This record gives sequence, C-alpha cells and structure tokens, in this order.
Amino acid sequence: MAKQIKKVLVDRDLCIGAASCIAVMPEVFELDGENKAVLIQKGGIKNSGPATIDAFDVSSVNQETLRMAAESCPTKAIFLYDEDGGQIYPD
Amino acid sequence: MAEIVKIKYLIIGGGVAGTTAAETLRQNDPAGSITIVSDEPYPFYSRIMLSKPNFFLGKIPFENIFLKKENWYKEHNINFMGGVSASDLDSQKKIVSLSNGQIIEYEKLLLAIGGCARRWQIPDSDKKGICYLRTLDETKEVINAIKTAKKAICIGGGFVSFETCELLRMKNIDTTLLVMEPYFWANLLDEESGLMIEDALQKGGVKIFKNEITEEILGDENVKGLKTKTDKEFEADLIVVGIGIMCPMNIFQKNGLAVSRGILANEYLETNLPDVWTAGDSAEFKDVILNEQIMLGNWANAQTQGKTVALNMLGKKQPFRMVSFYTTIAFGLNIAFVGDMKVSEGVSVIKRGSRESGSLGRLLIKNEKIIGATLMNRTNEMAPISKLIENNFKVAGHEKELADADFDLKKLL
Repeated sequence: MAKQIKKVLVDRDLCIGAASCIAVMPEVFELDGENKAVLIQKGGIKNSGPATIDAFDVSSVNQETLRMAAESCPTKAIFLYDEDGGQIYPD
Repeated sequence: MAEIVKIKYLIIGGGVAGTTAAETLRQNDPAGSITIVSDEPYPFYSRIMLSKPNFFLGKIPFENIFLKKENWYKEHNINFMGGVSASDLDSQKKIVSLSNGQIIEYEKLLLAIGGCARRWQIPDSDKKGICYLRTLDETKEVINAIKTAKKAICIGGGFVSFETCELLRMKNIDTTLLVMEPYFWANLLDEESGLMIEDALQKGGVKIFKNEITEEILGDENVKGLKTKTDKEFEADLIVVGIGIMCPMNIFQKNGLAVSRGILANEYLETNLPDVWTAGDSAEFKDVILNEQIMLGNWANAQTQGKTVALNMLGKKQPFRMVSFYTTIAFGLNIAFVGDMKVSEGVSVIKRGSRESGSLGRLLIKNEKIIGATLMNRTNEMAPISKLIENNFKVAGHEKELADADFDLKKLL
C-alpha cells in the first residue's frame, strides 16, 4: 500500500505558475497574486504551506488525485510528506 | 507482411497531452489496451524545465526532468514505444504503420504530435554549433555547447530567445540577439511592450540588432558566425535558433485529415476523421469561449486538453473550455499572456500602465468583450482577467476603469 500523504508544500522558488496542479485539483490549489500556487485551507487561509491535508478546505482529500496534482507539476515544485515527515514525492 | 496488433487506444505523442490522456483513459477504463508511440526515446519529461536555469545549468540532477519513470507505464499497463514514429495512417481500415515496421489497428486514435522547432531555411545551417531548443536531445546539445561557448547569437524574437539569452548571460557568454522584425515579439505585442522586453534584455547585457535577416553562415565544419543582408558580420561559436514551431502533419494530412496551421478539431477535440482525435500544441480547435478556431502552445492547455480528449474518447462528450495563459520570466521581467493575444480585425486595445512606469498591460477587446491580454510585470492581473473573459464581461461603461493602471480589476468581478 502506498504511503499516505499527510503534509503538502509548494516551493515558491520553483513554482512558475503553470497551473498544472489547478487543472488536476482546483478544490485544493489556486494561483495567488504573484502567480504562485497556494493551498486553499479552512478559515480562508491561503498559502504555499507546509499544510496538513486535514487543514484543506474540502470534506475529504483524495490521496491519488493529490499525488497526481504533484506529479503533474512541470517544475516539481509540489512536495508531499507522510505522517513521519518523510518525503513521498518527488521520489 | 507484419502482424497487425490490435490496440483500443493508440496515442501518437508522449508529451504532456498524450501522457495525460493515457492516464485519464486508464483511470476510467482499467482494462482497455493503451499504447503511446513517441518519436523521442525518453519517457514523459518536463519540456518547461528544459529552459529553466535549475535544469539547464545543471543545478539539479538531470533525472529530475522526467515526470514519469519507466515503471509508471508498466504499473498502469500502458505500452510505451519510444524512439518510434508513425509512418502511415489508413483511417478507413483504422491502421497506423510505424517506423519500426509494426502495424497497429486502433479503435480510437489520438494525435498529440506537438510541434517541432521550425528549421532555419538558410544554406549551411546544419553546421556544428547551430542549435534548437525544443526536444531533450536538442537541449542536451545546447547544454554541452555552452560549456565552451564564448560568443553566442540568438535568432528570433520570441520566448525561446528571451529565456535562452538569460541562460547564456548567467554563464557570462557574450550574447547577441538578432530579430528580423522592427522590435521584439512583434507578432504578438505592440511596440511599447516589445521595447520593455528589449530594455530588460539590454540591461542584462544582451546586444540587440533589429530588422536583421541572416544571409550567410560563416565557418567550416563548426559555425564561426554569420553575415546579415545589411552586410553586418557577427562572430559566434554558438547560434540558438528560436523562430517558432511547426507541426509534422504530412503523413496524416495525405490521408484526408483536415489541417490548417494545426490539426483541425471541434470543441470536443474530434478531427474530421472518425475516431481520430487531437490535443495539445498540434490541435487547432474550436474555442467555445472565444468562439473561434485557435491554436495554443502551452503546458496548461496541453495538459487540460489531454484530460478532456480522453474523456471524449471514452464517449463522455465534454467540450474543452479554458481561458488559456502563458507566463515566462527572465532578466527580472515577468511576461504573461491570457486568452487570445492577436490583434486581428475588429479588435481594439485598452492600455494599462506604460513602459516608463515599469508595468504595462494591454486588454484586447472584441465585440464589447475582453478576449485576451498581454501583461508586462502585471502578472497578478492574470486571474481577474481570465475570469472577466470567462464571464463574458461587458466592457461598455467601464473603459475608464480598465484604462486606469491603478484600478483593481477584481472589483469588476
């Protein structure tokens, strides 16, 4: 069984705003005023993380879709971590 | 005669459109056979990263360029054939012949063939040291060349030159830019925006010569420079040619595929041939927002089309709907394009800002609606402009606000 994603981070230096992640998961990702990807979190919080997936402003996070969103990034700017802080992606 | 292999979904092209399509097909059809045929010998990689300093200047491991590893194809039961191209299509028999002699009978065919770098039509342009930046192999050549290059010339006033000039300057290479137009990016921008880009390039140490057409390439086996029609001579041991892309459509065209600049498709990305589809840079598709046949070369567009086309191949009848955009940054200048940037007949322009003020936006208006924008150092207006385009925002009565560089466009949403 694949490791469960617990935490997500967008590296703002790497992000070029290609919006691949938004095409895959618009309920979690959007671009901010600097054209960088941010994570949409509960309470109107939007930043590039790190953020735990429970903080996302959605009822449930599909692990596979989240992984696809990260894998789709053409600059590999989205980092996924497991419960123990181990990096799942990029692998 | 070779044995005919039957495949449910045959995808020609292993880039972002083809790969995203394969992924989407597999999600929705766990058992149907999928084959990707790619003329490049590599699994899916990030073309965007090719011209980014991290990769280009070797700051990250080379392997990072790959977005799918070889085992991804195995795990998803997708047959990847690298280094192979299509050599013939018979759309009546639903057969594609491949360059390796194999023949495939398909149920559904996706042509996600992308574009290749337009070749320089000048005698001796095959000399060593004359390079293009499109495929991974082409990029490897440039990466190798910059290790020893002393003087470089970039040809063409578009994004390849814009990004390449910065990479060359980062390596402290003497860089000259030649464009045949009167200013940079003249096919898409107004002169003021073009001059803003030139300001940034010049500040970064790039020498720019405009209205220059190359007449002769100098050197023996290796390039040593060039001569232009105005009799100027330029020395160079590296020339990077960025004069646009073209789609290799010949073999499909002769089999009755309707093409114009790209492969013609409706809003479902269906071509005129039964069970043949297209997506990505090669698709000249019906845009439902702009109500026009358009062609775009950018990552987000190709990725989203890959997904939509797969759903349509599965019979879901989903029109492709997206306000496309493109961004790039070099020499500290942010450039963004949204929607349709061409000032064709009936299009008027509202300006926001100026070259002097350091930021300049242009809103393109047609039939009282915003259809696109070009933005210099105004990237934060991409999102509101996209929404205004999507919402069919009526310009009438708002001209003053739109022309006010300090007016917050989000207030119009």
